[in-house]
Formats: sequence, C-alpha cells, structure tokens
Amino acid sequence: MKKAISVAVLSLLILALGYFANRSNLSGSEAANPAASSTEKLVLTGSSTVAPLAAEIGKRFESRHPKVRIDVQTGGSSRGVNDARSGLADIGMASRALKPDEAELRGFTIALDGISIILNAANPLTTLDKQQIIDIFTGNITNWNELGGHDAPITVVNKAEGRSTLELFLHYFDLKNTDIKAQVVIGDNQQGIKTVAGNPDAIGYVSVGAAEYEAGHAVAIKLLPLDGIEASVENVRNSRFPLSRPLNLVTKTEPGGVAKAFIDFAGSAEVNDLIEAQYFVPVAH
Amino acid sequence: MLKNRLATVLIWLSAALICAVFVCLLADMLRNGLPRLSWSFLSQAPSDAGRAGGIAPIIVSTGLIVLVAVSAAAPLSLATAILLSEFSSPNSRFCQVIERSLEVLAGVPSIVFGLFGNAFFCIYLGLGFSILSGGLTLACMALPIMINTATVGLRSAPDDYRLCAAALGMSRGAALLHLLLPAAAPAIIAGLMLGIARAGAETAALIFTSGYVDRMPDTLMDSGRALSVHIYDLAMNVAGGDANAYASALVLVVLLLIINSLASSLTQHWLRNRIMTS
Repeated sequence: MKKAISVAVLSLLILALGYFANRSNLSGSEAANPAASSTEKLVLTGSSTVAPLAAEIGKRFESRHPKVRIDVQTGGSSRGVNDARSGLADIGMASRALKPDEAELRGFTIALDGISIILNAANPLTTLDKQQIIDIFTGNITNWNELGGHDAPITVVNKAEGRSTLELFLHYFDLKNTDIKAQVVIGDNQQGIKTVAGNPDAIGYVSVGAAEYEAGHAVAIKLLPLDGIEASVENVRNSRFPLSRPLNLVTKTEPGGVAKAFIDFAGSAEVNDLIEAQYFVPVAH
Repeated sequence: MLKNRLATVLIWLSAALICAVFVCLLADMLRNGLPRLSWSFLSQAPSDAGRAGGIAPIIVSTGLIVLVAVSAAAPLSLATAILLSEFSSPNSRFCQVIERSLEVLAGVPSIVFGLFGNAFFCIYLGLGFSILSGGLTLACMALPIMINTATVGLRSAPDDYRLCAAALGMSRGAALLHLLLPAAAPAIIAGLMLGIARAGAETAALIFTSGYVDRMPDTLMDSGRALSVHIYDLAMNVAGGDANAYASALVLVVLLLIINSLASSLTQHWLRNRIMTS
C-alpha cells in the first residue's frame, strides 16, 4: 500500500516536470518560428523601488496587449542602467536621475518620489530648519521646549535599514544611520504615519504622497516644509521640493515598437492610479 | 552536588531557551499571518504589488524551482557519493581534491551562487531569468550538503556487508543496491531534506536567477518568483505588504514541513522494504 502511494507520488512529480518541460519545448519551437506565435517579451531590470510599480503597469499593459509579456526583474538602479546599456534588458529602471556619465542613455520619468518630515497635528511647531532636524535625529535636541514647543521628550521615528526612504533622508541631511538616535524604528510609510499620528511628541519622515493623502483624510499628522518649500505632491511634481527624486525608465537608444508603446503607456495618465497606489507622484501631463 | 544541580539547571535552561525561540517565532508568524490565510489567498494571483490577492503563482513557481533543483542534484550527488565511498579510497589524491572542493563549495555564500547562476545559466547558457536557471543554481548550492551526508552514510555502513556480499558472489552493483544504499538511507534522506530546505528557503540565489515575475509560469523557461523572494519583497520593498509577508512566510514553513516529512517517509519506506525483502 505504502509502496503504491510512493510510486504514485513519484510518477506524479515526474509527470508534472515532464508537462512543464514539454511546454517549454513547444514554446521553444514556436519561438524559432515567429509566424506561429507573435508573443513579444519585454524585459525590465533595475531599481527595487520602481519594480513593484513597473510590474503593476506591466500587468495592465498585458491586459490591453494580450500578445505582449512584461517581465520585471529587480537588482538596483545601477544594475538597471548597466543592463539597459549592455542590452541585457530592453528597459532599465532607476530610482534616481541619470548621472552625467550616463548621458548617452535615454531616460523617461514615469513618476516622482518625495520625502516629507511629519509631526503630530497637536505639535505647535510649524517649521524646523535643516540643522534643527539634524540635531533632533542625532539626539542633540531631546525636548520640544528647546525649540519653543511643549515641555515633552521628542520621540524620533526612524526608518528600518534597507528602506530607500532612509537612504534618501540620510543622503539629504548628510547623516549616517549609526548617527541617528531613534526611539522607534518603523518599516513602511503607513506604519510611520500611524506612529506619528498616535504620539503627540513624535517626529518622522515618510513619502510625501502617502502623508498628504492621510493628512487630508483627518489623520493627526502635519507635513513640515523643507528649506521653506511646502511639502506637497504639487511641489514634488514641479520639482521645487528639495527632497525628491525621479523614477526613471532607461533605454540605450530611442525606443521603438513594444518598448516605445510600454514607455508611452507608463508615462500616460492611464496609470496614475497605479502610481498613486504605490505612494508615488505622477508626472504632470 | 550543588555543582551538579547547577549544571542540570543550566542545561535545562538552554534547552528551554531554544524552544522559546522557536515558539516565539512560530507564535509571531501565526499571530500576524493566520488572519490573512484563506483559500483565496492560496488560489489567487497577487495584485497591487502583493498587498492584495494571493500567492498561487508563487507557490507553483517555488514548487517547480525546488523540483528542478532536486531532480538535478539528487542523482548527481548520489552518484558522486557512491564514487567517493565505494570506488575510491578516502586517502587517494583524487578523493581529497573532490572533498576539498566540496568543502569550499559548501562555504560559498548564497549571493555568490546567485551571481554565478546569473552569469552562467542566465547569460552564458542563454536560459534567461527562468525557473530552470533558478533550479539549477539551487542544485549547485545543495550539492555539497547532499554529497557529504550521502558519502558519510555510505562509509559508515559496516565493511562486513561488503565482505559478506563478496563472499556470496554478489556483484558490487547488487551489493550497493540491496545492502549499502538501504543501510545509508537515513543519511541520504537527511541530505536530501537539508538540500530541499536550503533550496526552498533561498532568496539571494534566486532573485537574480529565477527572478521577480509573479505571473503563473507556463513553462520552465518562464521567470517565476519564489516564496522567499516574495516575502523579502513584501517585507522590505512594498509599503503595507507586511501582513501578506507574514502569511506567505507561514505558507513557506508549512510547505517545507510537508515536503520534508513526505520525502522522509517516502524514501524510508522505499528503501526499508528493499533491505527486508532482499
């Protein structure tokens, strides 16, 4: 009996493998004969920040163009730029602006990402300058009364290691993560917003899009201006807000065919809801 | 006497500590993951970057990747182990070179396997980001463990078996098949399970080989996201993905437990029967 079961399971596994292997052979012969199948595959590699967004845009693109498949792979912005340059990927993804030595590549901005400092809505302070923010996050200022606020200890909310928001924040304020004396370490934007909304003495930083949406929906947070520029999706969109970056699709040459269609689609207003669902800012059309 | 008591208490404490770590881990996963777990979570495709929907294509991809890895690694490792233990002397130069290189291979970090797999399978062999590339990369990773445990198992079979078989006029092949392999079965199974566990839980080696695409795979040449890659992405990259990451982790743990117990009971019965009937 047990033998029979084991034989059955084994043969099932072999059949399953054979089935998939066979289908791969079939599709291989189809690929050799382009007339039999006109499925086109577009490979995107690069920034892990852009990847989830690109995958969602890819799914919608596939549903409109059934004969196209969009394969999105991650690996980081530099990889995206390198793969686009070497031709390994049809399109690279980079969550930063192209550098001067990458000028020969074509970049297409599909969305923008900004980071805002947020306070609890009950906090009387409405503005902090760059040095004050650095002093708070490095633990030199530990009470709000030193800045003219209530007599209450400051709760610093920092991002967990590996978050791109953290990298951008550290880069902008020229800090190292080890310099930061945080009381709370959080993961994603929503968690940061909830932490600051629930603690009147907290300070944190999150994606502008998510923060503006929540602040507009009666969540007890407020966005602080940076360098005198109000933190808003509008100011990220017109690139006046200093703590922001573009999310780019990168190609080696002027794109054509399906690649062009996809890049046009990714830059169109038809994907604005997808961009906003990932807490990014659509570009102006 | 007091020293003895103290030692006993310390030993019990360390055992309890190990259990506590396991229980905490499991409790944390159950508490956060269980509410999300449902039939639709297991049967739907992910949507909204994995925050919503399920993980059906990811489970299928993971299963295929592990299947490819095991079917490539198991015969190779068994053959190598037989060569090392039965057909060459442990002190020979040949044997030592192989064993040394296996030790080095076992110590290589998985991200290096990922880069190697990407360079060799994906680019050089032209397999691209595919389940096949990922499975073969994992096979390379699992080989050292599987070979080492199988070799040790075969070597620890008593020499009496070999002498008796020779005295009875059994060929070396028959002795291997009917006596030595069944005797080494527990070690071979252990190696197989360690290999599967390492393969199934791998993230770094897979993100550059089998890839990130969360579509239901049609063929082995399609890119397919493994569960561990999905968990990593949800936990580290997607805002608001933590709940689904926990649920996926729970699925991965349960899946590994099922595969392990299945493999163990299968192989055990399969080989036990053979030694008894022959």
